[in-house]
Amino acid sequence: MKADIAVVGSGLTALVATRTLQKAGRNPVLIWPGLSSLYFLYATVDVLGYTNATTTQPVDEPVRGVRQLIADNPDHPYARAGLAALQDGSSLLLEWLREAGFSWQGTLARNLLLPTATGTPKPSCLVPTSMIAGDLQRDEPIAFCGFDGYQDFIPELAASNLARTWNGGPRSVTSVRVSLPGINSENLFTSIDLARRFEDPTFRRDVATRLRDAVKFDGARLGMPAVLGLTHDTDVHTEFEKETGHPVFEIPTVPPSVLGLRLFDRLRRHLQETGVEMIWAAPAHNAEVANGRCQRIHLKSAGRDQPVEARAYVLALEDAVDGAWRAGAHAVRDPFFHQLLAQHATPAERTDESLFQPQPFAAIGYPVSERLQPLDTDGRPLAANVFVAGGGIAGYDPTSIKARGGMAIATGYRAAQEAMAA
Amino acid sequence: MVLSPFLLMPDTSTGVVVIGGGSTGAGVLRDLALRGIDAILVEKGDLASGTTGRSHGLLHSGGRYCVNDLAAAIECVEEGRILRRIARTTVEDTGGYFVSVSEEDEAWEPRFVEGCKKAGITCERIPVDEARRREPALSTQVRTVFWVPEDGHLDPFYLVVGNVESARRRGAQVRTYTEVIGFTRNGSRISGVLTRDAMTGDETSIGCQAVINATGAWSGFVAKLLDVEVKVVPVKGVMVVLSHRLAHAAINRCHKPGDGDIVVPGLSVAILGTTAVKVPHPEVLPIEWNEVQLLIDEGAKMLDGVTTARAMRAYAGVRPLYDLGAEAEGREMSRNFAVIDHEERDGIAGFTSIVGGKVTTFRLMAERVTDLVARRLGVSTPCTTAEVPLNDREDEMDQLRHRPAQLGVPKPHGAELALQPLICECELVRPQDVAAWMKDPAVRTLEDLRRRTRSGMGPCQAAICSYRLAGRLVTDRAADGQTATRAMADFLETRWRGVRHVFWGSQLRQAQVTAALHLELFNADRQLLMEKSAAGTAFLPPPRAGEGRGGGAVTEAAGVRP
Repeated sequence: MKADIAVVGSGLTALVATRTLQKAGRNPVLIWPGLSSLYFLYATVDVLGYTNATTTQPVDEPVRGVRQLIADNPDHPYARAGLAALQDGSSLLLEWLREAGFSWQGTLARNLLLPTATGTPKPSCLVPTSMIAGDLQRDEPIAFCGFDGYQDFIPELAASNLARTWNGGPRSVTSVRVSLPGINSENLFTSIDLARRFEDPTFRRDVATRLRDAVKFDGARLGMPAVLGLTHDTDVHTEFEKETGHPVFEIPTVPPSVLGLRLFDRLRRHLQETGVEMIWAAPAHNAEVANGRCQRIHLKSAGRDQPVEARAYVLALEDAVDGAWRAGAHAVRDPFFHQLLAQHATPAERTDESLFQPQPFAAIGYPVSERLQPLDTDGRPLAANVFVAGGGIAGYDPTSIKARGGMAIATGYRAAQEAMAA
Repeated sequence: MVLSPFLLMPDTSTGVVVIGGGSTGAGVLRDLALRGIDAILVEKGDLASGTTGRSHGLLHSGGRYCVNDLAAAIECVEEGRILRRIARTTVEDTGGYFVSVSEEDEAWEPRFVEGCKKAGITCERIPVDEARRREPALSTQVRTVFWVPEDGHLDPFYLVVGNVESARRRGAQVRTYTEVIGFTRNGSRISGVLTRDAMTGDETSIGCQAVINATGAWSGFVAKLLDVEVKVVPVKGVMVVLSHRLAHAAINRCHKPGDGDIVVPGLSVAILGTTAVKVPHPEVLPIEWNEVQLLIDEGAKMLDGVTTARAMRAYAGVRPLYDLGAEAEGREMSRNFAVIDHEERDGIAGFTSIVGGKVTTFRLMAERVTDLVARRLGVSTPCTTAEVPLNDREDEMDQLRHRPAQLGVPKPHGAELALQPLICECELVRPQDVAAWMKDPAVRTLEDLRRRTRSGMGPCQAAICSYRLAGRLVTDRAADGQTATRAMADFLETRWRGVRHVFWGSQLRQAQVTAALHLELFNADRQLLMEKSAAGTAFLPPPRAGEGRGGGAVTEAAGVRP
């Protein structure tokens, strides 16, 4: 097939790049390699949570933090993308979310501090409205709420941890647990099952009543697993707050993450409804280069090889999960040019001894030009009309500074801009 | 350390103290219990956390030893048959193949056939086509195939726990995370042991009439506390776990036993074994890349798909080879065992060591050492461990029977069970499988829980179940959040140590999901930094009073029952 600009990826990076092209009046085709696991994990847009991997002091103002990070690290992917790409990309995303029927809040000027499912404060920047009431910079007491038989959110664990790090003054933390009407806790049910049930007003009201009775003090905020609706979540959240008589905030759970499903399903559908062509579940595996330009990329679609010819290409794979690169025991190569990105004597070299430290493998990727073109070993662009965003860029490690969403937006937006200029 | 018995009265007393919670110690405890002898087992870590739990789980037909180590092979034949009777839910009757893949192997074949005959091992040469029909993954390099029906898979965790539970039901006690740091003596006779609790540091004395040292590769360290020498050579073996079985039966190379010549299918995985490297200390077990690579390369000679299968982790165990004074080293050394009567050898009455051997023959080892100790104690009750089934209360041990129902397979009568909640989706572990162990004082870490339930042993390597288990620590065991979070982190770190050696392909992608979940969604790295707690083992609080699974409480009555 032929296209104007082809975007490859299944995460936020690819979505932002595609939307950027669409809004600029271009005609992108989105090549979606399959469900990346981030699809199930994504919950918020974190722009910069911490300035380094070892501090516990959260960044207050992400935009200032990123500006400083760029000044200190001119090779950082944020620096390559530029601050403007983060700012413009974020505005584009927030506007898009509104248009697609989401209710999101937040600005680059300020981080929220939201409790995780382990009761750990975590800085996030742009978040669904249903999470806002969890901000730990506010003082109201918190009651974490769980359900009998539901194992993917343990209110007692969250409460015990948060009580230690956050308690004091008017702040207090407690946990409650209620049974769920019509759900046999002896049977398997997942977060998605619950999210569907919460769309039923009778079920929702019944749970609200049970929680109202269980939470003993007024003025508390209720911290709930993120299961408040799958498709009508904004309404479910609003109604549930009224019915419980408390501010309610959602907390991301272990996969399957309802927050991630809502986000990607609806944005993907919105793109399709507004005319963007999508090629589903087709991993790209080869780029053909001639005269310094990529002529076509090849997809592995059902039973055949499908070439896609475009004027420019945005390789917006989120990370190794999404297929940004492939690792054998020693060599790490990219799927398009089969460029050797890294070579390791032992696979263990790719990791730190501890899971909780920055991982060397996170830095694997293409070296990129000022314009985010992937470079060969001599520092020349592999193809003049190919641009990289996301985990394909060398040094792309959002985990250690909690910047996954922001780095996705900035690089996705910038790569799309470059692709339009190519 | 040797204390005078007059300085202190022991905190508790028993007939026999068994040191070591591997298969041998557990077998000894059960043997003593079946003979009516009071006993306490003390283990410095968890049950099956040393050699036993790090074996590849092959129930030896004896075929691997029949040429070079006939005595060991004959023991395997007999013990394998006994275990199939007494430990039905612990043994999977996979059968095994011995395959030749190259010219130089052929000289071994007649010796192998002869060895099997001498040892009494059932062995049948079958056409390669027939073998490939049964095991489609057999590699094209395979030239000769022998079918050895009595190879099998032995679940080392269930084996130890099954022995211990059987003994507990008969009054025996178990103390895990309890290290022996000294002995009390009455003249030349042992009168007790001094132990230290790894969690609290509390020291406790246990008075007894005899001590059995069943610590395998650690035997020399225990003996040294009494200034006597037991020469055990610790030989490391590295193994790689693949995410599915590849074969129905165990696949052995038909050659002189060497590195990387066996693939053992066990439950949902296949284990590639193994290497043999002498190590200076049984706890220094580095996993070297060349070992991992060798296992995969050699495994691929026998089975297609070894190189492309998903490797989930690598791990290392240690063989406790007993130095009989011969020149032999490592694999050349006998896998036979010896009972060391320290009364006769060193003049220390009441102290006996059982050394060498292997998991398949644990019961026989236990029988031999218990025979000696019982005789010295004046107990003439014979050994019955070969007749009394291990799972004489099957409800406690049979953890696998629920699995077909869990997967939605209809029950025989046609009624279909609803899916049940799971703690660990990879290994189909349900909350009720975990609940009983949460009440066991022997369970002090999530790794201990893993050994007993398999939670966290599947492809995701505890990414998901670690959170759920941390939650259960808070709700079921009244752990505070800090302890539970630390326990979760320790559990993940232990898994990570094995995963990082096979860090490519799907397992790399899996690990990236684990990192994103725990470091981003939970912000666990900052939680740990905020706690400023050094990495290490966070011990869990004991179960609530009155909830023990048995074996935790100390009874006053002690000594040899008439």
